[in-house]
Amino acid sequence: MITLTLKEQPEVPIEAEALSPDVVSKLGNDELRALPIFYGKRQLRLDEFFEVEGELSEELEIHGDASRVKWLGRGMTHGQLRIVGNAGMHLGAFMKGGTIDVTGNASDWIGAEMSGGLIRVGGNAGGQIGAAYRGTLTGMTAGTIVVEGSAGLEVGMRMKRGTIVIKGMAKDFTGLEMKGGTIILGGAELRTGAWMNRGTIISLTPIPLLPTFAYNCSYNPTFLRVYARELAGLGISLPFEESEGSYESYSGDAAVSRKGELLVWQPAG
Amino acid sequence: MLRITGGRVYDPANEVDGEVRDVCISGGRIVEEVTGADVRTIDAAGMVVFPGGVDVHTHVAGGALNFARAMTPENHRNAAKFTHSPELRAGVGGTTPSTFATGYLYAGLGYTTVNEAAVPVLSARHTHEELRDTPLVDKSCCVLMANNELILDLLEEGETERAKHLLAWHLWAAKGYGVKAVNPGGVTAWKWGKDAKILSEPVPGYSKVTPAKIISSMAAMVDELELPHPMHLHCNNLGAPGNIDTTIETMKVLDGHRAHMAHLQFHSYGGDDWDTLRSESVRLAEFFNEQPNLTADAGAILFGDSVTITADGPWQHLLYQLTGRKWGNLDVENETGCGVVPYTYKGTNMVNAVQWAVGLELLLLINDPWRIYLTTDHPNGACFWRYPEIIHLLMNADFRRECIEKLPDKALKRIHLPGIDREYTLSEIAIIISAGPARALGMPQKGHLGVGADADVVLYNDDSDRERMFGHPRYLLKGGEVVVEEGDIRKMVDGREFIVRPSYDDNIEEYLRPLFEQYYTMSFENYPVEMERLEGADIRECG
Amino acid sequence: MGGKVTCTLGEVKNRADFIIYWGGNPADCHPLHFSRYTLIPKGKHVPEGRKGRTMVLVDVRETPSAKHADILLQVKPGKDFEVITTLRALVKNQPVDAARVAETGLTLEQLQDFVDRMKNARFGVLFFGMGLSMTRGKHMNSAAALALVAELNAYTKFVSMPMRGHGNVTGADVVMRWTTGFPFGVSMSRGYPRFNPGEFSTIDVLVRGDNDATLVLGADPGATMPQPAIDHLARTPTIVLDPKVTHTSRLARVHITTATTGISAPGTVYRMDEIPLPLKPILESPYPTDEEVVHRILEKVKEKPAWTPASYKEVPCA
Repeated sequence: MITLTLKEQPEVPIEAEALSPDVVSKLGNDELRALPIFYGKRQLRLDEFFEVEGELSEELEIHGDASRVKWLGRGMTHGQLRIVGNAGMHLGAFMKGGTIDVTGNASDWIGAEMSGGLIRVGGNAGGQIGAAYRGTLTGMTAGTIVVEGSAGLEVGMRMKRGTIVIKGMAKDFTGLEMKGGTIILGGAELRTGAWMNRGTIISLTPIPLLPTFAYNCSYNPTFLRVYARELAGLGISLPFEESEGSYESYSGDAAVSRKGELLVWQPAG
Repeated sequence: MLRITGGRVYDPANEVDGEVRDVCISGGRIVEEVTGADVRTIDAAGMVVFPGGVDVHTHVAGGALNFARAMTPENHRNAAKFTHSPELRAGVGGTTPSTFATGYLYAGLGYTTVNEAAVPVLSARHTHEELRDTPLVDKSCCVLMANNELILDLLEEGETERAKHLLAWHLWAAKGYGVKAVNPGGVTAWKWGKDAKILSEPVPGYSKVTPAKIISSMAAMVDELELPHPMHLHCNNLGAPGNIDTTIETMKVLDGHRAHMAHLQFHSYGGDDWDTLRSESVRLAEFFNEQPNLTADAGAILFGDSVTITADGPWQHLLYQLTGRKWGNLDVENETGCGVVPYTYKGTNMVNAVQWAVGLELLLLINDPWRIYLTTDHPNGACFWRYPEIIHLLMNADFRRECIEKLPDKALKRIHLPGIDREYTLSEIAIIISAGPARALGMPQKGHLGVGADADVVLYNDDSDRERMFGHPRYLLKGGEVVVEEGDIRKMVDGREFIVRPSYDDNIEEYLRPLFEQYYTMSFENYPVEMERLEGADIRECG
Repeated sequence: MGGKVTCTLGEVKNRADFIIYWGGNPADCHPLHFSRYTLIPKGKHVPEGRKGRTMVLVDVRETPSAKHADILLQVKPGKDFEVITTLRALVKNQPVDAARVAETGLTLEQLQDFVDRMKNARFGVLFFGMGLSMTRGKHMNSAAALALVAELNAYTKFVSMPMRGHGNVTGADVVMRWTTGFPFGVSMSRGYPRFNPGEFSTIDVLVRGDNDATLVLGADPGATMPQPAIDHLARTPTIVLDPKVTHTSRLARVHITTATTGISAPGTVYRMDEIPLPLKPILESPYPTDEEVVHRILEKVKEKPAWTPASYKEVPCA
């Protein structure tokens, strides 16, 4: 295992896209220490900001409040990245495989445009989770993101496939212009599913709906049974038994299409 | 002073075809001989020496292009990056490069002159600001006239002579070089959401003005004004299946007047709809070959991302509906408009495959290389920095066949390319990328290496991989300065602008002023671009 | 999915018979708009002037602009996105939920009537102001307005335009685009332009405290930005170039007085429709222009050891 410990809070953000298992697993300790990172506009060695222990490992652990360290795990394809503390923007953006765990909070754009892998955040996360960067037509195309706490704006914006779970509340525009995939929410503020084309959004508590979503029926979709079992492996319990309740199904967004599905859980009784 | 020695020189304008000879440079120009101790010598053994490239039709600056930049951050994010250094400004490449990057990328191909093909008078000031920030290349621009309603109103009233003076006045006001006609009558029709598809039918809002009348009158005006560059014409019905008839009809309507037919690839289709679209390059080339008054550029497409930018508003609305992607539209009061739609050409798509073939077919079937030039209508068909890919396709029939094999079967029946064996020679390439377009633009100091020419010279390795060869010049000289050396940009120089001052009756301002104040929204005094905004411009008096 | 369908202001003057102002109060904020460009003038194809045009004002309250309007649609604060999204569905004859529409402060009947009028316009224009673009939903509210207008073109001619003002904000956007490829929110920290609004936009950088110095040109963030941003400006070195004393200059370490552009310094201003207008100075100023000061700062910076990211090591990345 390779362990990095942040020595002090940087005055301006650090960009450290080199910190992924793909890169570090091939390097000895000396090379690790010399990895280039950007501190503002200056290129520095990794060891100017981090204590560096270990070498040649696909397990990378980062300790400290790295909330101003951006691009951790960018594009990683395998291995494990664990952040004991907080993580900065673009965590796991363009990720293709492997696992990222954050014990604290994460910032905006985590898993943006990812195409595989798993990101778990123990605390809260920011906005644009699994989203498309501005202008890009498609967000995440595969993979899973699980946030134990709350999330910010535009979760899953333009996502095409994959799963995002926000156990707490998400802010506005969850599933914005979504093209496919699944988002599971503890709840959400306004405009959930705005302009969605396809895909499924499941909320476990009632949420405000846009006027452009139409009520279909209440039911217990069979696919959720399969899905719930899959998610159970990630420690997520998704209700599906008729005895427990049912889902109100809405389709929309009629502003663009009516092929998106919004399911809102209604407990029995 | 400088001597390039030992290279094989391709200077078709002076009938030099690959001879090993020296090229001497002094004071920014080609000279007969240089002597003395301070002569630098470049050993060009194993290299070929070309006059600097000339792009007759490109979109690199101004309101429409800048509009496209705002719309496509995703293209720039994934594009070539230019990091700043003591010599270079930072920038991004991609489908619509930033201005500094545009200069670097053209220099990186060996190009030294570019013609920005679509400038509204109302925002010409903006275009010139961008061109000033585009280094390493000389520049000219064509001013959009064929939908200028003040001119069309005069044609409606039969006042052709006054219309000519108005056109000349506008050209000077914009500090332009040539006259551009885009979808004549169609852009003004688009102001009401309509188009002008039939050359003989009145343009919406007029009873006598037809696209045919605009085309013939304006080409005549350009000839009468003795402008160095003929009317630069984007025909009606761009991109539409079956538009070959319109294109041939347009050539007939020109009736012997000079014209440069822009991006001909987009105007050479048969068929009735997208499913029946086919190449009509043979018919077009045969007709074109018999019209000595005409030149053309290819407007070839390559598979990949592009962004379409044209004053052809109705076409852009259609393309937006076809793609369901982004759409930008900017109508310019009384004059023109523009549309912006990002587009991806796919090799698996039958229509795109036909388009790809048509561009190459025209370059191969039009028999006089002096009348057909290499362009992609950048960034519409492909980015200009992909020209070397097309050169490789033109020079290597085997490679072309490999590419044809990858096309969908459906497309093969609709194209002529598989039956064409012609391969371009280096000399012919020098014609279609430099000597020919320089002649069409009427720039006697460009596109050749004769004594007195601007010392814009490019040295390429003679490499059988023509794509690599033309994509990586070893040396580039701009106005006698070595700007690219061993493949790297070493020095930054500014290019200059070429403009024309056609003669017109000064009284035209008295006619124009009250109309301008009625129909426009800026003060008349602020309309013409001030001469001091164009530092060191090269002014040509005409007519 | 994005883009903008727009025109220059003269097109509105010459053609528009249906004019919408949404979330703006031009009567106070753009006082020449009605008289010079939109409502009042006799246009080439609207020879009747005001009588030939219908004006709809959409806002959360009755502003002084309301008395110029033929129709006032008063929407509940924060419901603009819901209204425009509903309009987009109605334009395409898609069903909407009348009860949820009513939560916006407008009825389904009102919105249907609005859509019918938009579709029946000969040339429609939607101007939108900060009441739309800076309220809850922000850029998505603007995106909604732009999308609605683009889609209306399947039925008639329709254009939109943001009501930008505040000096030469359009000019800054235009120049940023041609020099960097991006309109705003650009970071040069890696030596080449990168774009990410929310990450690199000024307000977000200042609120998070991501920068360690600030140069302010032609703006007064100390008057308009949220308190954490203002606190950060005060805490870190801030340099202001401005002809006047401003909120920002009061908290700045350095204030350089410059000549007023347009009065005693030449330049170019871009109108909200991106048409460039020359600025011709009418007075002399004892102060240098902004451009001169920036050039002099740049000359001094060049005397320092060069910051040459081009020579940096390439960063390995998965």
